[in-house]
Amino acid sequence: MQDPTILILASLADGDKHGYAIMEDIHVFAGIRLGPGTLYGAICRLEQRGWIRAVKSEARRQPYRITAAGSQHLKEQLALFGQVVRTGNRRMREA
Amino acid sequence: MRTLIRWAARLYPPAWRNRYAAEFDALLDDISPSFGDVCDVLGDVLRVRATTSIDACLMLAPVSPMNLRLPVVASLTAHAVMITIALFALWGHVTTMPLHVVAPLPPPAPEPPPLVTDGRVFSNALTLYSSLPLKMPAQGGALPVYVADGVGINFLSLPDIGATYRQGNAEWRVWPGQALESFIVRRVLPEYPRGTNAHGAVSVFVEYLITRGGSVKVLRTSGPPPFAGAAQLAIERWVYQPLEYENRPCEVVSRVEVRFDSELARSGFSP
Repeated sequence: MQDPTILILASLADGDKHGYAIMEDIHVFAGIRLGPGTLYGAICRLEQRGWIRAVKSEARRQPYRITAAGSQHLKEQLALFGQVVRTGNRRMREA
Repeated sequence: MRTLIRWAARLYPPAWRNRYAAEFDALLDDISPSFGDVCDVLGDVLRVRATTSIDACLMLAPVSPMNLRLPVVASLTAHAVMITIALFALWGHVTTMPLHVVAPLPPPAPEPPPLVTDGRVFSNALTLYSSLPLKMPAQGGALPVYVADGVGINFLSLPDIGATYRQGNAEWRVWPGQALESFIVRRVLPEYPRGTNAHGAVSVFVEYLITRGGSVKVLRTSGPPPFAGAAQLAIERWVYQPLEYENRPCEVVSRVEVRFDSELARSGFSP
């Protein structure tokens, strides 16, 4: 669960955020601090794949918004993680 | 650190910088970057550059010689910067480590078997330097020794035994060779000089000084040059224990006769 692209999509799931806000949000909900290179590397990849897009802004801080494709990808990934989590928990209980 | 990251961000491809430089700069104003962030940016620069190079090679992007060369140069530069930074970061650890790993010295070469005087050279003499080796091995038994064919050293009778000579601040006492035998650390016998056409026996008389440190310096010789040279060369390699007289270190003078016998040297005396 340390894939920065999934973390960024999860951060943008509840609204638009710029780079620093994304970084702080991820730090709060996942306890992971993304470095600036990792953050913008992931933002670049997400934008190229069409999973996020820049929102028009006059400020230096560029907000991003998750796209429909990005939401779909996030759902699929979370479902996969959920399945892994459920399976792991069940097996831990049975052990 | 912020300046360093900004400098590192210049290594991104121009397209990346046109798109993200302004907001990346704004992000840097918001955070307190650390050394880890510098490495993080450099790592991402490498990844982006590598991706760009691969895309260019696969004809996925417009290719020009400069497009191909620039990523390589930038990548090498980024590598050099990362290695330098890592070395600085590790400097504290490195300085606590030994800077040079000293390889163990090879064992010293074994001393060649000592040469002893050819007893035939001074057939009538009673005291020769043929008693070598003086120090026997701990387990007993004789050391392997070899006879110097046709070469012998004889103690000379010294008319001025015990005399003291002074020259400036130096003071020399004359000691006979026999008295010095127990102080010998190393003795080298001369080799018969090759290329000479002498017949029979040739004697060389040598007067030598044993310094306070135990080394030997030849003061004078008498005899034909090739033989005198051979004798001097060997005797100056002798080593004695430091000598004392009345509990004071002293320098000692002694004299020996070195005799070279061409017939015996040719006959090949076996040990």
